[in-house]
Amino acid sequence: MRSLTPRSVLLGLIAPVGALVFAAAVSAVILLATGHDPFDTVDAMATAAQRPRTLVNSLNTATSYYLSAVAVAIGFRMKLFNIGVDGQYRFAALLAAGLAGAAFMDSLPSFVRVALTILAAMLVGAAWAGLAALLKVTRGVSEVISTIMLNAIATYLVSYLNSPERLAVSTAGSNNIGTPKITEGGRVPGFEIEGSSSKVFGLVFLAVLVGFLYWFVLSRTRFGFELKATGLSESAAVASGVSVKKMVIVSMLLSGAVAGLVGMPELLGSSYSYSLNFPVGVGFIGIAVALLGRNHPIGMAIAALLWGFLFNTANSLDTAGVPREIVDIMQGVIVLSVVVAYELVRRYRVRAEQRAVGHALGRTKTAEEVTA
Amino acid sequence: MRRTRGVRLAAGLLALGLGLAGCGSKNNDSGSSGGTTTAGSAAAANLKIGLAYDIGGRGDQSFNDSAARGLDKAKSEFGFEVKELEAAAGETEAQKEDRLRQLVEGGYNPVIAVGFAYAESVGKVAGDTPDVQFAIIDDATDGVDVGKNIANLTFAENEGSYLVGAAAALKSKTGNVGFVGGVNTPLIQKFEVGFTMGVKAVKADATVQVKYLTQPPDYTGFNDPAKGETAAKGMFDAGADIVYAAAGGSGNGVFKAAKANTKLGIGVDSDQYNQPALADVKDVIITSMIKKVDVAVYDFISSVKNGKFVAGQKVYDLKAGGVDYATSGGKIDDIKAKLDDYKQKIISGEIKVPEKK
Amino acid sequence: MSTEPPAGSTTLAPAVQLSGITKRFPGVVANSDVDITVRAGTVHALVGENGAGKSTLMKILYGMQPPDEGTIAIDGVPTAFASPADAIRAGIGMVHQHFMLADNLTVLENVVLGSEPRKGLGLDFTAARARIREISDAYGLDIEPDRLVDDLGVGERQRVEILKVLYRGARILILDEPTAVLVPQEVDELFGNLRELKAEGLTILFISHKLDEVLSVADDITVIRRGTTVASVSPADVTARKLAELMVGSALPVPELRESTVTATEVLTVTGLTVTSADGRPVLDDISFTIHAGEVLGIAGVEGNGQAELVEALMGIRTPNAGTITLAGRDITRDSTRHRREAGMGYIPEDRHRQGVLLEATLWENRVLGHQTRPPNVRGPLLDRRGAKADTERIVAEYDVRTPSIDVNAAALSGGNQQKLIVGREMSGDPVVLIASHPTRGVDVGAQAAIWDHIRRARADRLAVLLISADLDELIGMSDTLAVILRGRLVAEHDPATVTPEQLGSAMTGAGREEG
Repeated sequence: MRSLTPRSVLLGLIAPVGALVFAAAVSAVILLATGHDPFDTVDAMATAAQRPRTLVNSLNTATSYYLSAVAVAIGFRMKLFNIGVDGQYRFAALLAAGLAGAAFMDSLPSFVRVALTILAAMLVGAAWAGLAALLKVTRGVSEVISTIMLNAIATYLVSYLNSPERLAVSTAGSNNIGTPKITEGGRVPGFEIEGSSSKVFGLVFLAVLVGFLYWFVLSRTRFGFELKATGLSESAAVASGVSVKKMVIVSMLLSGAVAGLVGMPELLGSSYSYSLNFPVGVGFIGIAVALLGRNHPIGMAIAALLWGFLFNTANSLDTAGVPREIVDIMQGVIVLSVVVAYELVRRYRVRAEQRAVGHALGRTKTAEEVTA
Repeated sequence: MRRTRGVRLAAGLLALGLGLAGCGSKNNDSGSSGGTTTAGSAAAANLKIGLAYDIGGRGDQSFNDSAARGLDKAKSEFGFEVKELEAAAGETEAQKEDRLRQLVEGGYNPVIAVGFAYAESVGKVAGDTPDVQFAIIDDATDGVDVGKNIANLTFAENEGSYLVGAAAALKSKTGNVGFVGGVNTPLIQKFEVGFTMGVKAVKADATVQVKYLTQPPDYTGFNDPAKGETAAKGMFDAGADIVYAAAGGSGNGVFKAAKANTKLGIGVDSDQYNQPALADVKDVIITSMIKKVDVAVYDFISSVKNGKFVAGQKVYDLKAGGVDYATSGGKIDDIKAKLDDYKQKIISGEIKVPEKK
Repeated sequence: MSTEPPAGSTTLAPAVQLSGITKRFPGVVANSDVDITVRAGTVHALVGENGAGKSTLMKILYGMQPPDEGTIAIDGVPTAFASPADAIRAGIGMVHQHFMLADNLTVLENVVLGSEPRKGLGLDFTAARARIREISDAYGLDIEPDRLVDDLGVGERQRVEILKVLYRGARILILDEPTAVLVPQEVDELFGNLRELKAEGLTILFISHKLDEVLSVADDITVIRRGTTVASVSPADVTARKLAELMVGSALPVPELRESTVTATEVLTVTGLTVTSADGRPVLDDISFTIHAGEVLGIAGVEGNGQAELVEALMGIRTPNAGTITLAGRDITRDSTRHRREAGMGYIPEDRHRQGVLLEATLWENRVLGHQTRPPNVRGPLLDRRGAKADTERIVAEYDVRTPSIDVNAAALSGGNQQKLIVGREMSGDPVVLIASHPTRGVDVGAQAAIWDHIRRARADRLAVLLISADLDELIGMSDTLAVILRGRLVAEHDPATVTPEQLGSAMTGAGREEG
């Protein structure tokens, strides 16, 4: 990570901010073209932003998104695409919920119960991601393919296990099915916010902790250095003594362990059970958030909050008569334009730096050095 | 106008910043701030009806649409103001709860929640706002969404499915029929259980092929005609000659496969023989298991209108006319007597159709 | 070295005339005021160091980039190319260094790809086949149109590339470093082909930095340095050394070792090292040697004879099929790259962008690379950023790395400065053996002298060095012992004190085997 100068901060912000402005403009055009007033949307979002409940829900949603983004980003750092965060967190949440809801847990102290639940989720997530890592290092199977397939397998496994004969309980009169409710001692209490019926998840702090560890490990440890080096140039990393196979396994396990955490805030803070209503698709949202936040711990936090807020304004838009799909369009345009913007800024940066170096050294460089 | 909006936007952004940082605000949206609620006992001349759909919403060609029909009927008859909101994929309880609360805050009363996914949120919001009357479709769980201001509208899909199962067995020449379920959930399993029992009641040695298109949380099985077609074709290839499509919009594919293989199909939820979207394939639809969500919604609204709101579970079974088999197209006229016989036995309790395997 | 008089060039307009070509990239000038005149029906060589601006110039001539200033005249007619398609229409063909052929197609299909012969709605392969045979016979290319490219050798593939441009009607051929991928026999065959093409009246622009080859095949030579033409000479008038001095612009530093520092301590011993490629061909065949403390072992050979595999096997990047590697008495054959590095093996890779630096990481991060388990870069599992940065400052100062800061990305530095950083890094942490592959390739003369100097000093400090280089003067001057590698085997040993570049060159091509 380079030192922060006003210029580097500006360059860092110009891409995401530019993409946001562009996305807002595109959304406005789409709204106008479909006969809606863009200002109604702005209005509805502004209304949503003043409602404490929406803000609390946004923060809670962002917590899951952030954990998912960190899980994805760990792989991204070494150009490893863990598309399987979705399957990993769902499978982990189910098994952790099964454990947390089991009767024998009632006798344990609350702290131990919560810790065991979280640990179990991390282990399951890591194991599920580990399968993809194993396939990659032993058989050369692309992790993109294997994790997508493991997502599908996880779906079937979860469906198989989430039935009354296995991990689930069925309740008379209910068409839902899920694991037994976790009793009081196994839950993580939230924070009451005045004016909001929703509580802020206690596990918000888990996300903060994970974010800090992510930053620390990547920028301050040897492992983080080797992860970055492998991502920048695998051949150079190999020549420097990095075992790429080992890196694949370790980073996939870490990514999967963090993926296992994705469902925990919701499970231990709100639903207390893994049921048909457990949120899906958070693993894929994590990819967008990681992309938007450039794998940076703070950037991803901002992106997760933005995504969480947009998601939670959907009801307000619906109420105001604005098609809620505009949120999806906005998110899509933001991701697309941010990718383009980042690349443009990156190129500009490389050229600007070469020019600066050339200038500082007062020599003319040849084209090959520039284009190399 | 524009200026005030700008101010509100600025205020909104400010609040967003403050809210995310400290979550402190003066607004109060918890508790019974609903405002314009009417007493449950008196007849109301004017109602504001709020309705929250499950994923798919209006236009899903399935049971959300059925609820929409009931709402439309009530609206055109009584002229009430309505507000319809829709669920999104990937939601947690919080977004569903927020949806109901927004309806309550907007002064809507009664509020109708379509689908069991709303069970917990209805329970919570109804508990916080005792003046608002709620209805939830497809769920009645003790301790969750049962309360003095909640009407639980549930259906005996197993009973209706029993009848179409009997019809299938009576019409089948091969003694081999199929069941295509949209998504493997307890609700759809109810259809399967009834259907299989109905088939076996007629022909104990008949074969019933069972296939679910997707597993939760993948709900695309309710809206993927291609998957339905493939599944049905496989069943026809394996000897089935009638397939029951309990799969929402995926049923189209089942009927398409039936038509292509000159086999037969059975519809679900509405009288699918008469659905305009299925005009091309209607001659293969011998009957449909009708689940009258529209009737339930309409009944509920008129009960509130007439000041006759009744809390608790109302089971729409054969007896109540909440489920039935369809006769449009006249393809089962010859066995109608036998089916009605079964129907009477179920109503009288002589035949008991279980909900679960 | 035969230089025939150019055929029929008396009154013709020059095939290519570049005048005053200038090309600027943001902040830099790639070409300035370049003048080249290529007589029709000749082989014209364009020589210059890596990074001198040859490729940019050729891209301009081939229409891939427009010049900012200057004119291009083809056969005396001023022309402007907007794209390679324009250049092809004007009769210019480019044979790239990296072949652009589809392995799973036949020669015929590859040649017609993009200009398929149509007959009605179908393709007329018969006519194309006949035309390919005709061209092949006319220029002695010896290409069978229906063979699969996958089955062809490197030299044949190159001839397919040449055939491809001739098929499209080229009269002026640009060959970009055509010999880099060829073994000596193939080089000879290629030169034979070039002479035939010339005899048929075609014009060839030949880009190279291999001076001996240039002197043997070219009719005219243009030397380019720092983006501009510095001399136009006839091969008859210059020697390779003179040409080299023109290329680098100053008297060449002389690589030489003063007195022997070779000790009796064996540092790196290799016995019976064998590596086979994926298709079972041996790329290294029973290699054995020993390097002592204070000794430089030079390995001479034409590129692609197993040098890369040898280096990678020594560094633990490639697993040998047989043989042992012993470092200071300890068998390290099965050790990981990391263990070898920790045991004191330094590594200057042949391709610095592939194995030597992280272009998009800062200089101090590049300092850590390869040394990420050792102080001053780490403390336990944690990076010691301050330590690494301080040591990077030391390297920048000691090795004269020209950079405004150690916080810039390596990509911002010139190749020579990147190389100095690598050398500085690999000399850090007291290595016992240094594997140096082309340590001065593509660096300027000053840096070259400095790098030699550092190697010499380390040698005096009992460092054992394996030196691989394509620069024979460097090899002879810097080695205590010289070995020649040919087709994966060490075939000859020479005393650098007595051997001449000519003797070494013939040994490298296999011609000298009887003597060795």
